[in-house]
Amino acid sequence: MTQVNRINGGLVDRSRTLSFTFNDKEFQGHPGDTLASALLANGQRLVGRGFKYHRPRGILSAGSEEPNALVQLRRGALQEPNTRATTTELFNGLEATSQNHRGSLEHDLMEVTDLFSRFLSAGFYYKTFMWPAAFWEKIYEPAIRNSAGLGRISMEEDPDTYDKGFLHCDLLVIGAGPAGLSAALTAGRSGARVILADEDFRPGGRLNAETFEVDAMAGSDWADRTASELASMDNVRLMTRTTVFGAYDHGIYGALERRTDHLPHSDSKPRQVLWRIYSRRAILCAGSTERPIAFGNNDRPGIMLAGAVRAYANRWGVAPGKKVAVFTNNDDGWRTANDLSKSGVTVSAVIDTRDGSAPMDIPGAGIFMGGRVMDTCGRKGLKSIKLVGGATIEADCLAVSGGWNPNVHLTCHQRGRPDWNDDIAAFVPGGDLPVGMSVSGAANGMLTLAGALSEGRSSAEEALKDIGLSPSAGAIPVAEDEPARNAAFWHVGESKSRTWLDFQNDVTVKDIKLAYKEGYRSVELLKRYTTLGMATDQGKTANVAALAVMAECTGKSIPETGTTIFRPPYNPVAIGAFAGRSRGKDFRPHRLTPSHKWAVEQGAEFTTAGMWLRAQWFTRDGETTWRQTTDREAAQTRASVGVCDVTTLGKIDIQGRDAAEFLNKVYANPFLKLPVGKVRYGLMLREDGIVMDDGTTARMGENHFVMTTTTAQAGLVFRHLEFCRQCLWPELDVHLISTTDGWAQFAVAGPNARKLLQKIVDPEHDISNEAFPYMGCGEITICGGTVARLFRISFSGELAFEIAVPARYGDSLIRTLMAAGEEFDVVAYGTEALGVMRVEKGHAAGNELNGQTSAANLGLGRMVSKNKDCIGNTLSEREELTRDDGKRLVGFRPVDRSVLLTSGAHFIKPGQAATTENDEGWMSSVAYSPELGHSIGLGFIDNGSDRLGEVVLAVDLVRDRTTQVEIISPHFVDPEGERLRV
Amino acid sequence: MSEYTLTAQPALGGYQKNFDAVSLVELTELAIVSIAIPRGGEETLATALQDTFGADMPKPGTTCLSKDGDMRFLGMAIDQIFCVFNHPEPDAAAIVANNLKQAGYVTLQSDNWVSLRISGPGSRTALERICPIDLAPDSFTEGCVARTVMEHMGVIIYPDGQDSYVLISASSSAGSFLHAVETSIHNTLS
Repeated sequence: MTQVNRINGGLVDRSRTLSFTFNDKEFQGHPGDTLASALLANGQRLVGRGFKYHRPRGILSAGSEEPNALVQLRRGALQEPNTRATTTELFNGLEATSQNHRGSLEHDLMEVTDLFSRFLSAGFYYKTFMWPAAFWEKIYEPAIRNSAGLGRISMEEDPDTYDKGFLHCDLLVIGAGPAGLSAALTAGRSGARVILADEDFRPGGRLNAETFEVDAMAGSDWADRTASELASMDNVRLMTRTTVFGAYDHGIYGALERRTDHLPHSDSKPRQVLWRIYSRRAILCAGSTERPIAFGNNDRPGIMLAGAVRAYANRWGVAPGKKVAVFTNNDDGWRTANDLSKSGVTVSAVIDTRDGSAPMDIPGAGIFMGGRVMDTCGRKGLKSIKLVGGATIEADCLAVSGGWNPNVHLTCHQRGRPDWNDDIAAFVPGGDLPVGMSVSGAANGMLTLAGALSEGRSSAEEALKDIGLSPSAGAIPVAEDEPARNAAFWHVGESKSRTWLDFQNDVTVKDIKLAYKEGYRSVELLKRYTTLGMATDQGKTANVAALAVMAECTGKSIPETGTTIFRPPYNPVAIGAFAGRSRGKDFRPHRLTPSHKWAVEQGAEFTTAGMWLRAQWFTRDGETTWRQTTDREAAQTRASVGVCDVTTLGKIDIQGRDAAEFLNKVYANPFLKLPVGKVRYGLMLREDGIVMDDGTTARMGENHFVMTTTTAQAGLVFRHLEFCRQCLWPELDVHLISTTDGWAQFAVAGPNARKLLQKIVDPEHDISNEAFPYMGCGEITICGGTVARLFRISFSGELAFEIAVPARYGDSLIRTLMAAGEEFDVVAYGTEALGVMRVEKGHAAGNELNGQTSAANLGLGRMVSKNKDCIGNTLSEREELTRDDGKRLVGFRPVDRSVLLTSGAHFIKPGQAATTENDEGWMSSVAYSPELGHSIGLGFIDNGSDRLGEVVLAVDLVRDRTTQVEIISPHFVDPEGERLRV
Repeated sequence: MSEYTLTAQPALGGYQKNFDAVSLVELTELAIVSIAIPRGGEETLATALQDTFGADMPKPGTTCLSKDGDMRFLGMAIDQIFCVFNHPEPDAAAIVANNLKQAGYVTLQSDNWVSLRISGPGSRTALERICPIDLAPDSFTEGCVARTVMEHMGVIIYPDGQDSYVLISASSSAGSFLHAVETSIHNTLS
């Protein structure tokens, strides 16, 4: 027996049959079905369990507002929880399972919580889990965590891919119902660039669910024809399966397009695309959402929204029940009874809360004007309903309509508040809309078809005029305005049983009243206290009715009681979609040095420096630890010559008549008189006098400098310089451009550095000590005419040069240097050996320039010239920064030379406790010095320069180590700098 | 004669690949030279550009071609122009500087960047996935240039023909940039 509830009609393709499983049971459906319509067609009413009390739950709606029918889709790593069956497009092989139960869906062991419901009222958690405090971590929290949530994620890596994108349009139309189609058609025909987005896979909105006619044809046919016309226009982009979930600044909207969710496999294409849509104007045509009426036991499977019941019959050819009753407070509910009756479905009763005569005749149905449903029967599915007054009516489906709420959500995304409209007893968009947005159709409170079509068109015309386009001429689609009278009715007061307002969070009328009794008056607090309106549906069917109950309690009107606004996203968006491609190795781009390929060939280990990948060391055969490798690289460099790729240092080309003056202002030390052909170390301060960065700057010409920055600060320094240039001193003729990537630069260090370079530098360039002394620079040619720049600077403390060539030659240059250096036993060294040698030399680096240290701390106080002004000069004179006994950068060595020092250790005087009060400073950098044969460190300690020779304790509380260290000069190797100048 | 010779290596090794509706190729010979406009020297530079190359001075966001069509001048900022032209040697800056006769401050930029041309009827669809700029043919016409960000990487983009765009991004992250563009093409191929 399959599809027992399938009736004639509908828009599904009955020529094809699709198989799917629900809880491993096989069912059939048709293309065009949703999982919900297919389950209902197969008579499956029970689809899930309530969140709190685990009560049986069925399908409530036919759209994305669904609070109950949340299922897990697919298997294994592809499993996705909390997916709405009502929006899940059926495909062959779809696997769905119910969630939030222990044991089977039919026999959920957790249903026992329903027996204790009287103890689990609003605020139960807050009241109960306060005491005893000792229980919180060990008992309460694990228990709450265990029972929290609905579905389960797979705990495996998501094998799907996601993407992002950017779209632009004159007009974004959100929703392809009658208003949206009418708006898009008007704009599309005018030649405007239009995007029409709808979350459904079939454009038409309610036109597909109703039996109305437009332009003398079935509404769904008109929707089809219109969508086809729009799709044929080059200037229109029709995006189905696309939810516009957020309205952001400047006409930007977020939209999620589900590209392969309706397919068995994604075939390596992105499953979903997160679009950022830039619009000049937008029209919100998001329709409206029907709301239920609260009455006793109104959560049983089979109790559904009346509009949804009608949609299942008209669009999907499914009767949600064999014997359907209707409970309504408006004319729309009657249409459900009428449509079902005409489809041959038995309508047992229509109960209308309004007095008066019945709006229409429903053959065979009992009519109860002024009636109310008080209670229902049927544990796992509705069997009968009981009316106030005692009448009992058999029904396996109850279609409920409490009126329609315009979907104003996106109008609130920039803090706009909706207004109350008594005519439809609902909130409508307020006046404070996102810039460029207008609202049409049901979303605007226009709940009739002809009105929606007309509003859509007029809104589009207005929007087009706003942006200087001419609307096309053409007739408004012809349709009739259906009756849409209603009388506000929120809940049946006579009900003795629990009356549910929020099905997803199991919030009842009683919970709202209790919260009121306990002093909650603010709607926002009420929501948080009762959990109303949370989770995947965000209270789309619950919020207004709950507000009405609150209003009853306060004795005020609904708008006086308050309202709630909405934040993005309109519907849930997978975190994967927000991440897009930014996963794993694609989390961020990588920057590679010009010698990267060569370094890979050498088996280098790489480390990250910002986005750069830098060779950390080059392990050779027989070396089993990084220390062995690093020691060799440092020792060999100091013994003969080593080469290191230093391309990552920031390089900024500075030109202009006022370039020297500019540098004089941004550096603490003077640069005005730096001769052409010379390099100078520069110290850059922040406005607050703290050191920002350091580096060298070479004067390549009278008006041309090349600045280097640290790798880490390259971008920040450039930004800082641009700020100075553009905002502080716009009168200066100074121009900046980064050349970091443009030049491959290598440090060539060691006593044989010059000899090595002399082999590749063209003979017309004399790089002897006399012709090219320490801190010299110049443009040269190498290897037979290749342009290059040479700088005689040293970070290692050895005789050293940095040679730069256009980056295209970088790979070739490293290979050439290594080949030419063979006779000197040249060694490539990585960042680790670079660090060892700079610590040995006492150079400050990132650990010392940490944004907290001043020039005085670094022992560079005298560099801050008082003969000129510079950024940070004044504030560097603050008392705390200039005190004589302030912290100074000094060197440290262990008293027991066999002990290894650790960075991060804090200095304490011997005999004192390791407390904050006794803290005298910290070890910023450590290294094992192959030159000295023991561990050394740099660090800051109070009055350090005057304490050379003193022994203090280096206390490392993290590693639980205390080491006696001696304070010494930070210049461990060649303190006089003789090696630099040979 | 030096014992050693250096060999130039393009950032992506001369990448070239054809997809169904998209072609992607590295422009290995595209020279890029930045020209900074001296403060107060706008007219002098404009005259020099016109006299030397027969080109107008491009406003930011626009491009101008030299009279012979070989050089394209990109307006990058109010005081900065990029000059792009086919020239495989690394002396492009000197060529521009010598022609301009110190009317602008010139810096070689060729090696700072990797240049890709994406072309074909599927090029805009692929770029939709990474490019925030509105590339509609009537919005981003030939003669436009924009600086933008794609997958966290700075990019200069300009159209150089029907359905054809030049993308210029940092050479150090050329591999990541190529991956981003290739992924966009893959994701949009039917």
